[in-house]
Amino acid sequence: MAAVQISLPLPVLPEGWSGEKDFKPIGHLSHATDRNIEPVGPHFLAHARRKRHKRTFSEDDR
Amino acid sequence: MSAEADPTQRVAIGISFGNSYSSIAFTSAEGKAEVIANEDGDRQIPSILSYVGGEELHAGQAKGQLVRNTKNTVAYFRDFLGQDFKSIDPTPCHQSAHPIQHESTIGFKIQDSAEETENTVTVSEITTRHLKRLRISASDYLGKNVNAAVITVPTNFADAQKDALNKAAKEAGLEVLQFISEPVAAVLAYDARPEAKLADKVVVVADLGGIRSDIAVIASRGGIYTVLATHHDYEVSGSVLDQALMDHFAKEFIKKHKSAGDPRENDRSLAKLKLECEAVKKALSIGTSANFSVESLANGVDFQATINRSRYEILASKNFAAFARLVTHAVEKANLDPLDVSEIILGGGNSHTPKVASAVRNLFPESTIVLAPSTSSTAINPSELSVRGAAIQASLIQEFELEDIEQSTHPAVTVTPHTAKAVGILLISGDEGTAVFHTIVDAETPLPVRRTAIIATPREGGNVLLKLAEGLRHIKITKPEPRVREPSSDDEDDESEEEEEEVREKTWKVDAVLSEAALKGVKKGAKIEVQINIGHDLTVNAIFREVGGKGGVRGILQGPKVTQNGSA
Ligand SMILES: Nc1ncnc2c1ncn2[C@@H]1O[C@H](COP(=O)(O)OP(=O)(O)OP(=O)(O)O)[C@@H](O)[C@H]1O
Ligand SMILES: [Mg+2]
Repeated sequence: MAAVQISLPLPVLPEGWSGEKDFKPIGHLSHATDRNIEPVGPHFLAHARRKRHKRTFSEDDR
Repeated sequence: MSAEADPTQRVAIGISFGNSYSSIAFTSAEGKAEVIANEDGDRQIPSILSYVGGEELHAGQAKGQLVRNTKNTVAYFRDFLGQDFKSIDPTPCHQSAHPIQHESTIGFKIQDSAEETENTVTVSEITTRHLKRLRISASDYLGKNVNAAVITVPTNFADAQKDALNKAAKEAGLEVLQFISEPVAAVLAYDARPEAKLADKVVVVADLGGIRSDIAVIASRGGIYTVLATHHDYEVSGSVLDQALMDHFAKEFIKKHKSAGDPRENDRSLAKLKLECEAVKKALSIGTSANFSVESLANGVDFQATINRSRYEILASKNFAAFARLVTHAVEKANLDPLDVSEIILGGGNSHTPKVASAVRNLFPESTIVLAPSTSSTAINPSELSVRGAAIQASLIQEFELEDIEQSTHPAVTVTPHTAKAVGILLISGDEGTAVFHTIVDAETPLPVRRTAIIATPREGGNVLLKLAEGLRHIKITKPEPRVREPSSDDEDDESEEEEEEVREKTWKVDAVLSEAALKGVKKGAKIEVQINIGHDLTVNAIFREVGGKGGVRGILQGPKVTQNGSA
């Protein structure tokens, strides 16, 4: 999928900010909801292929 | 003959099989879906069979028999497949062969052979005969023996109904590769167009058919579809639109020919009236006026009249409004707001009617695209949406072993965790209260997912903060400033004041912060690429880097703790 283009700027890093290797984990994602995806269309087929062969997106790209 | 099970020997088509009309389509070598006309030149093929002296008439020819040969003409039968007699509504069959209970199934008592005797023909057998005719039309057109199909069904078609349809198709020489749902087929028909761009969006498919209307709210995420809510209605349908016209012309007829009686009170007159009113309704989709003309409408009296489109729109205004309300109701069922809907695909034959589209248009904000012939020059023919989607799906899977298709459609593959909330990034400020939240991965996105955003930087470049968060959509309502009433004698002024409406906007609120990252010494005018990967276990893998720059920052967030009952 094409990248999301965002024209508003990122904030300036606050003085004194620190994080190990410049990254600071803070929270977790909310629990997911199980839903049925429709087994239709080319993108579903790619999804099913990844799922069955336990492949990631980047492995799939190659 | 039995269907060919060897994938290399398959000739597969797409079929939409409605209660009123069916269509057949194939996908050309160039990957384009093409709808096939039957021998009569029809692409919307009436789902009707009629028997005259042992001869089987199909489709348009059978429809003509509704006037003289009502008892031996079978119509509106799809929804009876795989059903119990007690659970069906026979109303649509008032003016054709009536459904009856036959053992554990449903049948029609018709004289379908040259003999004078009546036979009970089951709904399965009728379906087989209808599908066989469709198969032959497609085979004749393609010059190849069609032996497989993807068939569209409503989202509420039960397994028993699918099983019955599967058997009936097999009897007709068609191997059903897959049943796909009608609204999803419609979305696929649009997404398969070469100019279509993949996006994350909420699409509503609103189908106004002949005897039912069906609405589906679908999350479309990079070409993967999840049905969030559906709504079905059997009161609002094309037949009530026909009825509005029938009542109108019947009254006009009575006014003009008092002694000839009410054409609605005699079966044959009623059938003629109905056929002509459907034709008038179709004509009003393109023309601003249409002619009604029936020979010997009642008691041998001919009747001719004209009607203009605006008159029709008034006659049926309640029905148009009711259909539009079904659409908003389905959006509510999905816990969404009209502002969340990116597109509305109008399907079903009645979506040719401009007023159907405008009634829906009026209940949604301007940001919602309404795809119907009267609102979009690039709209796909609403009567052909399902069949086009079916033909595309057929071309995608026709070389697969049936077993492989079944495996991919199994819940083990289709049941997928979906994000509960949107994941995005804070802009302008790092403070949750004042920042602008921008979504990168939407809520209701199936996992795993990967999305990339390209983001602007502060004017001078330098060190930037990348703060990921979960966001919640918030509808901001601004009430208009109460205007000071100036003493005025002009009545019109008062009216325009009342019309001022509150302004509703879609905004976002930060719900919970996920992580912070820093990119230092960013060049002036540079752009930052943020790539977010979310695994099925909700692990987040984020990569932040300057576009065209070296290095970058990587971060990993573990998924939430698995709760006691094991749900993750
Ligand atoms: N050009 C048109 N303008 C207006 N109405 C039309 C047009 N073409 C078809 N219709 C109407 O559309 C309806 C048929 O819709 P569709 O072809 O989607 O049928 P279907 O899927 O078999 O519907 P159902 O199963 O609800 O009976 C009929 O009411 C028909 O009169
Ligand atoms: Mg339909």
